[in-house]
Amino acid sequence: MVCIKQVPATTAPKRYTADLRLDRAAAEAVINPLDEYAIEQALRLQESGAIESVGFLSMGPEQAGEALRRALAMGGDDATLVTDPDLGGADAWATARVLAAALDKLAPDVSLMGMASDDARGSLVPGAVAALRGMPLLSYGSELRIDGSVARVRRLTADGFDVVEAPLPVVASVTDQVGEPRYASLKGIMAAKRKPMETWSLADIGLSADDLHGAALSRVVEARKPEAKPPTERVEGVSADEAVTRIADWLAARKLI
Amino acid sequence: MSSDIAFLAEFANGAPTRAALELAAGAEELAGGSGGSAVALAYGPGAAGAATLGAAGASSAVVLGDDAAPAITHAAAAAATLRDLAPLALLAPATPNGRDLAGALVGLLGLPAFGPVRAVRIEGGTVRTEQATLQGTVITVSEPTEGAGRPAIVLVLPSTFTPREGGSGTAAVTSASAAAGPLGAARIVESHPAEAAVANLEEASIIVAGGRGVGSADGFAPLHELAAALGGAVGASRAAADAGWVPYQLQIGQTGKVVKPALYVGCGISGAIQHRVGMQTAESVLAINKDPDAPIGEFADLFVVGDLFAIVPKLTAEVRRRKGR
Ligand SMILES: Cc1cc2nc3c(=O)[nH]c(=O)nc-3n(C[C@H](O)[C@H](O)[C@H](O)COP(=O)(O)OP(=O)(O)OC[C@H]3O[C@@H](n4cnc5c(N)ncnc54)[C@H](O)[C@@H]3O)c2cc1C
Ligand SMILES: Nc1ncnc2c1ncn2[C@@H]1O[C@H](COP(=O)(O)O)[C@@H](O)[C@H]1O
Repeated sequence: MVCIKQVPATTAPKRYTADLRLDRAAAEAVINPLDEYAIEQALRLQESGAIESVGFLSMGPEQAGEALRRALAMGGDDATLVTDPDLGGADAWATARVLAAALDKLAPDVSLMGMASDDARGSLVPGAVAALRGMPLLSYGSELRIDGSVARVRRLTADGFDVVEAPLPVVASVTDQVGEPRYASLKGIMAAKRKPMETWSLADIGLSADDLHGAALSRVVEARKPEAKPPTERVEGVSADEAVTRIADWLAARKLI
Repeated sequence: MSSDIAFLAEFANGAPTRAALELAAGAEELAGGSGGSAVALAYGPGAAGAATLGAAGASSAVVLGDDAAPAITHAAAAAATLRDLAPLALLAPATPNGRDLAGALVGLLGLPAFGPVRAVRIEGGTVRTEQATLQGTVITVSEPTEGAGRPAIVLVLPSTFTPREGGSGTAAVTSASAAAGPLGAARIVESHPAEAAVANLEEASIIVAGGRGVGSADGFAPLHELAAALGGAVGASRAAADAGWVPYQLQIGQTGKVVKPALYVGCGISGAIQHRVGMQTAESVLAINKDPDAPIGEFADLFVVGDLFAIVPKLTAEVRRRKGR
């Protein structure tokens, strides 16, 4: 089961409302780019016969169903959307509680995630879901393998890599080193329309709004634009020697040499 | 409940990591404001020697484990410690290990989480964090909601705090014992250290980074020389790491390292948003690119349009000359 989040496109021009909140309706929404790598990893495991089926799970507003549909166009078998008016503004903890409850119900061998969401960037959800579900976490895999009843990831270390192993079922997350995500083919897009997609409310996964303390344990008290940087100084149309003198003067002025 | 500030202190190869020393200084600073003390939660090879963190700013240290197990396997011990201590905040390094452990604590204890942050303050007994969100297009200040549990989990970016220098003192050490539980089932079954030493970019105060424009592994040689002349380290874009020209440990950006050096020099790097989020807080940014319209030209402090192979070797010679070497 691959957990995917719908996020505003990384490079989409972003508009803010008067109180500096992102105007989500104005930005193009996509599958969190790092979750596409998790999808790719899952589909490769399915193609190699290491796992039987691939499903997708997302928590978000109703339009997050579009992200699930796009994932189904890449491949996989079915999708589940958890959506509820009480989930707006969910933080890492609330998100993890909801995903964990849905995953408990779906009971996959591997609950696979991206290494981070583009908008929240906490990378906290995988560890929180593992803790809530009471199973090991194999995180930041540059490759995930399943061999019978164990899962293994290859994971970068300070100066090389480790192989980390745990018995199934596991929660896992993978990086952008697993291989470039495939594009959805036209055939895939057509096939996705017929794949099953379920929509669950909080009640469907045995949670209530009270369990989630208003969906967040933190709140934003201030939002502002970053300090404007001084304009860029350009060196252009000069010889390499002249450029070097200008750079060295600049470094010296900043006491860097 | 206490007004203490706890922090995760990772050890590697028998010594505290740079992140541990930065967070020790940060916790000490914040504890000064909250009227509490700085408490280390130490783990990793060498953590049994956590008393030395006293010189870095910690008053006490709780050892979660002294082995090379994955960081998250210490979550149960960390949770038990935090339940007893109920500190105001737990500072965690915004590294893969720090995030795994912090995430597990959010799940085990139901805690508010913040970050990755570039500033933390204690105001009126409350934790306030400052973070750049949405690719750095907006800065938000956050705090725990009324009645949220303690501690507030705060992921802290590298170089947010500066390690204390020439400090002295020893931290009072205790050890935490709790059954590891299901999170303890992950174990390292193979370790493959690199043959050649790999620089830790988070410690470098000057970084010379190369991208696709460098063209090959050999193309990095002049960058290494410039880095040596400046007293810095070499970094890279994902394109250069994907090409196998440098190890992934040198990648800067969203899925690489987040660095905050005094000087970043980008050579043959276009400045894609995913790269930018890893280096945009560098104090000074110099970019050398032959494309006058490269996006890095929009946010560099000094943008030099030209061929890196013509400029970099000459710059190295000039830096050496001016430094009198
Ligand atoms: C999910 C995701 C995560 C990502 N994470 C990261 C990340 O962490 N870090 C990262 O860096 N990227 C990341 N990327 C990739 C990123 O989008 C860019 O593709 C990448 O940064 C481009 O690398 P580059 O600037 O080296 O190459 P290019 O964009 O190809 O730029 C090469 C530049 O070199 C210049 N050049 C060529 N020859 C010369 C010469 N002789 N002299 C001077 N200039 C020359 C060209 O003008 C060009 O501007 C990520 C992408 C995705 C989708
Ligand atoms: N709302 C969500 N729905 C589904 N998966 C999510 C959601 N939020 C986070 N995730 C998963 O958790 C990973 C890490 O997210 P984060 O902790 O927000 O950085 C993402 O890459 C997703 O795989």
